[in-house]
Amino acid sequence: MTKLFATTALVATLALPAYAAQPAEGETLSDNQSLSFWILDAFKSLDPQLTSSRTDSDMIRQLFEGLMNEDATGAMIPGVAESYEMSDDGMTYTFKLRDSNWSNGDPVTANDFVYAWRRAVDPATASEYAWFMELMNIVSASEIVKGEAAPDTLGVTAVDDHTLEVKLTKPTPYFLKTLSHATTYPTPQKVIEAEGDAWTQPGKMVSNGAYKLESHDLGVEGVAVRNENYWNNDETIIDTVRFVTVNDQNIGLTRYLAGEIDWMNTLPAGRFPQLLEEYPDEAVSAPWSCSYAYLFNLSDKGPEALKDLRVRQALAYGIDRDIIVDRVLQGGQRPAYYWTHWATEGYEAPEIEMSEWTQAERIEKAKALLEEAGYGPDNPLSLSIQYNTSEDHRKLAIAVQQFWKAIGVNATLNNYEWKVHIDRLNNQDFEVARYAWCADYNEASSFLDYFRTGGYNQGKWSNAEYDQLLADAATAENPNDLYKQAEAILIQDMALAPTYHYAMAQMIKPDIRGVPLENVMSSWYAKDMYRVAE
Amino acid sequence: MFAYVMRRLAVAIPTLLLLIVFSFLLMHLAPGGPFSQERELPAQVLANLNEKYGLDQPLWRQIISYVWGIIAHFDFGPSFVYPDRTVNQLIAAGFPVTLTYGTLAFVAAVVTGVALGVVAAIWHNSWVDYLAVGISIGAQVLPNFVMAPILVLVFTLWYRMLPGGGWSFNDPSFWVMPVIALSTSYMASIARITRSSMLEVLGSNHIRTARAKGMPEHRVIIRHALKPAMLPVISYLGPVFVSMITGSVVIDIYFSTGGIGKAFVDSALNRDYAVMMGVTILVGALTILFNLVVDILYAWIDPKIRY
Repeated sequence: MTKLFATTALVATLALPAYAAQPAEGETLSDNQSLSFWILDAFKSLDPQLTSSRTDSDMIRQLFEGLMNEDATGAMIPGVAESYEMSDDGMTYTFKLRDSNWSNGDPVTANDFVYAWRRAVDPATASEYAWFMELMNIVSASEIVKGEAAPDTLGVTAVDDHTLEVKLTKPTPYFLKTLSHATTYPTPQKVIEAEGDAWTQPGKMVSNGAYKLESHDLGVEGVAVRNENYWNNDETIIDTVRFVTVNDQNIGLTRYLAGEIDWMNTLPAGRFPQLLEEYPDEAVSAPWSCSYAYLFNLSDKGPEALKDLRVRQALAYGIDRDIIVDRVLQGGQRPAYYWTHWATEGYEAPEIEMSEWTQAERIEKAKALLEEAGYGPDNPLSLSIQYNTSEDHRKLAIAVQQFWKAIGVNATLNNYEWKVHIDRLNNQDFEVARYAWCADYNEASSFLDYFRTGGYNQGKWSNAEYDQLLADAATAENPNDLYKQAEAILIQDMALAPTYHYAMAQMIKPDIRGVPLENVMSSWYAKDMYRVAE
Repeated sequence: MFAYVMRRLAVAIPTLLLLIVFSFLLMHLAPGGPFSQERELPAQVLANLNEKYGLDQPLWRQIISYVWGIIAHFDFGPSFVYPDRTVNQLIAAGFPVTLTYGTLAFVAAVVTGVALGVVAAIWHNSWVDYLAVGISIGAQVLPNFVMAPILVLVFTLWYRMLPGGGWSFNDPSFWVMPVIALSTSYMASIARITRSSMLEVLGSNHIRTARAKGMPEHRVIIRHALKPAMLPVISYLGPVFVSMITGSVVIDIYFSTGGIGKAFVDSALNRDYAVMMGVTILVGALTILFNLVVDILYAWIDPKIRY
């Protein structure tokens, strides 16, 4: 039995005109409605099911539209889906799709979603994001990814052209939040079958979002222009979205200042305070749902010393997060004493003892703990810190090395390029390693799941109670309470040394409106933005 | 001469093959692979990726099928990191860009470098000499990764004369800064080599004879001094030309030109085996080719050289 389960948010949004760029009273629109967005690296792939990069997703989000979109605060709002019903057991979702079209005029149907989702899990597609469908807990997704079931057994069916039914293996509180992710966007079967891998090239690509691909010079720029077949094209204001590649942040900033780029959402480390002073209307920092930490290798391959809780505590206490945030990064980041990003929707952090202490107290406690554990001036603890090539990671690693020296720990620094760093993490070939995690959807479980036994969890920390709490959270009425408890266990047992919570220090031209600074996922839609006349 | 060229070309083929085999092995020796990532891929997906790109085969088979693909279809395979593109497409998009700014920079470097060197040698130990030497030392010590941001700052931010980056084949304003940044240090080296070689030639017997028979100085320099003085310059220019037209990662990074220099470095970092091989072969083949061109030029300039 299913019943109408339109959440208040959805009802409210449905009652309003569709979410779009909405100039405020008295605002005059500028003649220039183009937006140039800086990107650090070239797009790897503009295929929604093949991409695995944030940069690509920023473009793909303009070109395609999934069942749901995010509004300026990150709340889920209808995209191609007009409404949905959830069954009583929370395991079946039925979406009603609106009348909408592909950029070539063909209607977008439920089958386009079925095709795309099967394509994402099909091992033949070899998508690096196939796991996302597993995360969504769609029936058979895991079996298909493993090659044990055929792709057409995936729990997604087109009841008719406008009705899509999704069956889950278990109630999934965050299910709706996954629906604005690129992996879940519909893709045009006919075009892909006709063009093969080349279907994402300009002139060939057919998309269903507010924009369509005009040109793409790899490593130079990608340009999207209005898709006149988009269902809400009338309320879209920005005409052109350019993604300008500048591999060097300082040059990017110079070009921003010269007016060639309108929005830079990452700034060179340490530049933000000065920019804020010089350009108060343009420099802004917004929380961004990623956390940075030093991981401890607790596997059999890890050093014996780290298996002692006192040592882990000492190392975590030893890090002076205020210096890292205020002196090194200087971009509005916050010190982290726990793992889940502080701004995650609905998340309430547990009370963490060490966050209350002064750094002097932490150092004192750290020294005492190390002594208890049998380390001291005669028998100092030696560890290696592994990080991947980047000026910022190097600066932090050096800082941490100094902090630990103050508590009597000798740390050596090991620098590897990214691919090697990752390989070593995955094989537990490290002692302490820098790591960062960005949420895949705006809920604490996206962070906490990392440390689940059998999760990505490269340090191989494991705690039965923690696992149970996460399992319970999946079906709980109010999972946030359980997340809080899980987080408390994580820090009690110091599975990691949390370091800082990310923020995006950015420069945005002052005439641009509608930038979703409150959305911690930093997902933005050019269709919701506009430029005012100055 | 013809036989010599043929011989050289015949040697080029095994050289290229060796290059392919060595780069292939070195690449596979490096830790990490194209699909190493934070979230380890499910075994089946990884197996499919490996199969798709032929990585499930033993190395020797991979090499053979790779070389065969090139010989039979001129196919350098699909990119591992840019799944929408093949290596042929990537090189076809990036190489013309690099070739354009590289050739222009080469011409600029040779013309100004030789001119500076000749002028400095003629007016040896005068202020002209010191100025020319000063300019070339300045250009030498200012590496392009320092010069590039300065150029953008001056010409894009301050004077708003030139676009700060990007590329267009139709708009030369995009070419100016890459050409300046790429050519200066080469220009400096060419000037130094020209100057010292020119000084040596100007002190030689045949120049004294030419002057003694009353030949006008400009003819002495152009006809009798410049040609032999160019020999060391030309041997330097062969590899320089290749390295200029096959890309500079610094230029591509700072000016977002989309050339193959950046693609090459990225492919190494991302373990994009196919792109890395493709660019290596391109650079290797061009190096062999231009070394041959230099040798032929040698024979043309210096009649004493015979092959």
